[in-house]
Amino acid sequence: MKNRLRVLRAEREWSQQDLADRLGVSRQSVNAIETGKYDPSLPLAFRIADLFAMPIEAIFLRD
Amino acid sequence: MSAGARRAALWGALFIINFGLIATGRILDLIEPPVPWILMAANMVLVIPYVRAIRAWQETSGRMTPAMRRYNQRFLAFSAIYMVAMIVGGNLADSIEPGSALLWLTATAPLVPVLGMIWTMGRFLVEEEDEYQRHRAVNAALWGLALVPCLGSSWGFLEMFGLLPHVWA
Repeated sequence: MKNRLRVLRAEREWSQQDLADRLGVSRQSVNAIETGKYDPSLPLAFRIADLFAMPIEAIFLRD
Repeated sequence: MSAGARRAALWGALFIINFGLIATGRILDLIEPPVPWILMAANMVLVIPYVRAIRAWQETSGRMTPAMRRYNQRFLAFSAIYMVAMIVGGNLADSIEPGSALLWLTATAPLVPVLGMIWTMGRFLVEEEDEYQRHRAVNAALWGLALVPCLGSSWGFLEMFGLLPHVWA
């Protein structure tokens, strides 16, 4: 699933490790989500949305 | 493939190739006990650089989590116990009275660390909080579940018709 995670992360000058630490996941997980290799579960998607203070639909784009 | 992954793959390949050569030598009766057991024990030394390379690669590639660290430690401990049980049991088997309780104990001793390894995999799935790492572990387990019976059954059928030799567990 396409998403704006990389853009949002870059706007805040966070590295993938920074984002991983804030979400409580591994850096590999962040990379997998950003590149569309893995779609997060609903709880993780909500945590991502809460972190960026945005609705889920503003971060994850429909194909 | 990153340099860390290549280094880990190299040590792992060397470890497996050595084991393959030792097993082949034993199956073809090119080497007699206790030589295979001594060579296998010596080969275990390669586990040290292999595990170090794996850990370094996991740390640098962003894969390492607390649950993964515990998994590595537990799996390594059970692997060491398994190797000791196999090497000791293999060396003692011929000198133990057939059908005796000691022979049963020696034969089933490696099962304990094998069950420990399976327990370790289960604990990892329970303890790992990172859903993507859990997803990868489950995928890997499913591939293993598919490949091992395929390879084992294939070898077994060919062995049944005398096309391949028997391989010790």
